[in-house]
Amino acid sequence: MMYAVDAVTRLRIMAAAVPGARVVERVLPAPLEAVWAVMGDLEGGFGDFQPDMRRVRVLRVSGDRVEVLASSRHGFRARLRGHLQPGWCWLQSRFLIIGMAAAPEPGGGTRVALTGGVRIPARAAIVPLGTRRELERAAVRLEALVTSPPGVHTESKRGRS
Amino acid sequence: MSTERRERGVALARAARAGNTLALHDLLDHLTPYVARVCEPIALADGPDATQEALVAVFTSLRTLKDPQALYGWVRAIAVREAVRVARRAARARPATELADVPQPGDPQLAADIADVLARLSPDHRAVLVLRDVEGLDEDAAAALLAIPPGTAKSRLSRARSSFRKAWSA
Repeated sequence: MMYAVDAVTRLRIMAAAVPGARVVERVLPAPLEAVWAVMGDLEGGFGDFQPDMRRVRVLRVSGDRVEVLASSRHGFRARLRGHLQPGWCWLQSRFLIIGMAAAPEPGGGTRVALTGGVRIPARAAIVPLGTRRELERAAVRLEALVTSPPGVHTESKRGRS
Repeated sequence: MSTERRERGVALARAARAGNTLALHDLLDHLTPYVARVCEPIALADGPDATQEALVAVFTSLRTLKDPQALYGWVRAIAVREAVRVARRAARARPATELADVPQPGDPQLAADIADVLARLSPDHRAVLVLRDVEGLDEDAAAALLAIPPGTAKSRLSRARSSFRKAWSA
């Protein structure tokens, strides 16, 4: 589908409707394809840069619709449903909202945007405590994954688990 | 817009307001072309900026929409307001030619160019034109939406249409 707005702007618009949501953006020195190869890989790269994710399993894919089972480092499990397509991901469960976007930056590189956090159950709202800090951590990890050689990525994952 | 499409938008707005962010996601897909259709003829080259700003405004205040049945009128009002605001801001940065300067007989190349005529109208004139001739609102409704007296809406519309007539008869 063609949009009049790019994916990062879409994320800002979505976040505008979600009280408590913060959006963290960063320009990464890599093409969209390379960045999304990490972000959009829900069972791989995604779990590596999202600070609280221990394991993610894709249960179902139908077109851009996706359903995943995520386990956190603290033992929580979440069944997330939503949309995944190149440059765009929006997922929600009863207790979580996750939004990710990536779009080519006119000056070069890729602008990524992250939002989401702990959802106020069944509401379009996020518990605002520590949300920005978690998103910043995710952005830093993502940048490291995108810009580091492959071996470094594996080590950082081992060190966390 | 078909009744079925309109009802889908209303249902999505209702579900989004109830807290379903996937409905919010689908509502954004649903409303984007509608908002662009309102914003682009008013904001012209700045249409994409106007569309984005209108969508942010719509989504920021979605919680204040009391009656989802009123979705489209509510979105249209925000879109027009944002398009006029963005176009005025752009006009301050790039002063446009006065309406009285165009179109002139004997200038067929310019006169035959609708985009050029539109570009030389002020954002306020374009807003009236879009509401009346694209969206099909009556004068009172267009005036109410733009928060101007009906007489002002009527004169702006008359001036805008007159520009087009001159353009095509040049």
